[in-house]
Amino acid sequence: MTSKQTQNGKIQFDVIVVGAGLAGSAAAAVTAQGGLSVALIERGQAPGAKNSFGGALYTHSLEEIYPDFWDRKPPLERPVTEAGFWFLSKDGLVNMTVRGGALGRQPADAYVALRAKFDLWWAEQAAQSGAFIIPKTTVTDFIRDSSGKIVGVDTDRAQGRIYAPVVIVCEGVNNLLTLKAGLSKSDLKPKAVALGVKQLIALPADTINARFGLPDNSHGLAVTVAGDVSMGLTGMGFVYTGNDCVSIGLGVTLEELAKAKIRPYALLQRYLNHPAIAPLVAGGRLMEYGAHLIPEGGWNDMPKLYTDGVMVAGDAATMVNALHWEGTNMAIIAGKEAAETAIKAHRRQDFSGKSLSEYRERLSKRFILKDLRQYRNLSRFLENHPTFMDVYPNFLNDALGMFFTGYGKTKKDLYGDIVRSLTRRRPLIKVVGDMLAFGKAVMGI
Amino acid sequence: MFHALVSIKQVPDTTNIRIDPETGNLIRQGVPTILNPYDAHAVASAVEWKRKLGGKVTVISMGPPAAVSSIRECIEMGADRGILLSARQFSGADTLATSYVLASTIEAVHAEDPIDLVFFGKQAIDGDTAQVGPGVASRLNMPMVTYAIAIREVNTDERYAVIERKTETRNESIKASLPAALTCEKDIAEIPFASLPDLIASLRYEPEVWTAESPIAFDPAQIGLKGSPTTVFKTGTPEKHVAGEVVKTVDVGVETAVKMVLDRLAMMADGNTILGMVRQ
Repeated sequence: MTSKQTQNGKIQFDVIVVGAGLAGSAAAAVTAQGGLSVALIERGQAPGAKNSFGGALYTHSLEEIYPDFWDRKPPLERPVTEAGFWFLSKDGLVNMTVRGGALGRQPADAYVALRAKFDLWWAEQAAQSGAFIIPKTTVTDFIRDSSGKIVGVDTDRAQGRIYAPVVIVCEGVNNLLTLKAGLSKSDLKPKAVALGVKQLIALPADTINARFGLPDNSHGLAVTVAGDVSMGLTGMGFVYTGNDCVSIGLGVTLEELAKAKIRPYALLQRYLNHPAIAPLVAGGRLMEYGAHLIPEGGWNDMPKLYTDGVMVAGDAATMVNALHWEGTNMAIIAGKEAAETAIKAHRRQDFSGKSLSEYRERLSKRFILKDLRQYRNLSRFLENHPTFMDVYPNFLNDALGMFFTGYGKTKKDLYGDIVRSLTRRRPLIKVVGDMLAFGKAVMGI
Repeated sequence: MFHALVSIKQVPDTTNIRIDPETGNLIRQGVPTILNPYDAHAVASAVEWKRKLGGKVTVISMGPPAAVSSIRECIEMGADRGILLSARQFSGADTLATSYVLASTIEAVHAEDPIDLVFFGKQAIDGDTAQVGPGVASRLNMPMVTYAIAIREVNTDERYAVIERKTETRNESIKASLPAALTCEKDIAEIPFASLPDLIASLRYEPEVWTAESPIAFDPAQIGLKGSPTTVFKTGTPEKHVAGEVVKTVDVGVETAVKMVLDRLAMMADGNTILGMVRQ
């Protein structure tokens, strides 16, 4: 809790972290554990207050920051014991999920979380490590010395300057400081962000267990919903089960949403009224209705990760992997690596970009930069291959539907019908092309 | 030197509150707590006058240890000293027991550092009784100005303050001799946006904690559940008001209009009584 106040009343810390989300509180905790004084500045009333998220956190990343994570009684919801894809046609659903096996492990590899609760707790852990949390305060700009070097941040409060030789920016998707630091050249592009809209719907735990086929309250489901979710716009849906609530929503690219002039709530309402979705949440009480931007540009839109006196982590650095729902773990680990770099920089007493480039080296050795690079063409894959939104989900529904109703029919005719239900929609040669394209995008070749 | 004391309460954030449909009680579990909004404006006003006249603002609150966060919020707005009255024996207090504890505390603070004005919010948004402020003022035999919307003047030499208050029909200006007490509407002052140094000081602030025995030995028979004669039999939510139908007499004629009114009254639960009165 020590900020070194100098004689002239300057508020001075060793490190400033902007934003008490997953990346920010991890960065602040690791910095404080390293013996440095750190200010964690959050614009919300409290950490988590500004958050809108329906998803999962990953055990490996939480344990990496706090090896005794489980003893700290984290406010997590259900473990993800069943995960996979649902493919929606207009009125049907093909379910491709896995449960048991690797997903039966305890503790599980992923846990559903409500971030308003979790982020508050996550920041408290950082405070216990020694980070000084300054809430209700918005960082508006950097302070630069006469040579232009960043030496701290200015805030929206009177006498609001805070000084530190290194600033870790974890400001989230709205990347104002990343721009001001010169790390991004242009503002967010509508095609590089998705708008996530979701509802959090309260249901009794027993009802959730019954509707989702979960044996008890210590089992949970996380699925990506593909197909007929977003009125033909490029997008994916999701369903996560909490202890006694269901988080359900979808993400669509902002550009298409604007072009189609469809209101996000209309899109969500349509999705929630889908005959395969509606019964899952029927009779529930709406707890939360939220929307948030998700930076899905990935590698191609990634800002420079460091410059003199500044590093950037989390959503602000487009650390999102939409196919694997990864992002929370990247944010946490990037926050940690930025903090480790800040600690080293203090030892070297060198806060130049060259010194802070260690941050990028650290990330490039881990899954974060490796994966984002490999998936660089996947972020816009759906946009460029709309057949994955309609042809294939519909075909899957038709094919399985025919297979399980083809009684008394010669099976030769049945298979013929099934194949035709595909070729009617897309010539075989194009199907092969689509699959190759998908494979290439996933493999990053 | 001006010394203001503000009595504040931490309350559940009623914008987020739900009522248990079976018992009719508030569901407090998991509901975030906030500084009672009227109290926040009272603190803002006290701080404004401290800055005008020089002096200090003391904040007191009876509540659980978690109420520290509300006291910190007052420090953030510019209050100088915070006292948290926190002990198991205080819990379950109604407005009578609460006003006893607060009045005794105010007396003790006053003895070491004389107070000019005692501020309260007009009411707490959880109980809505508006009884504690007047209760304390009568225990202390202090002039009480309720529903204050502005403080026009504070004269610590000639020992008076001019306070404007709201009534149902008009505003009144009251000249009260000091020390005086007032309960505040939100109009009394804007909530300031604290400077960063003030915010940081508040985050580090630890209020004094006063218990049931020390530094004041409260009379055990007058505090907490024991000192509270109020019994709550039942709580409930008021019926939702539906907008009335507007009919112009010129359109339907007086006779029809009167008949419509009478019919509507007859439909109401206690309509017969009213109807009887109307018919007479």
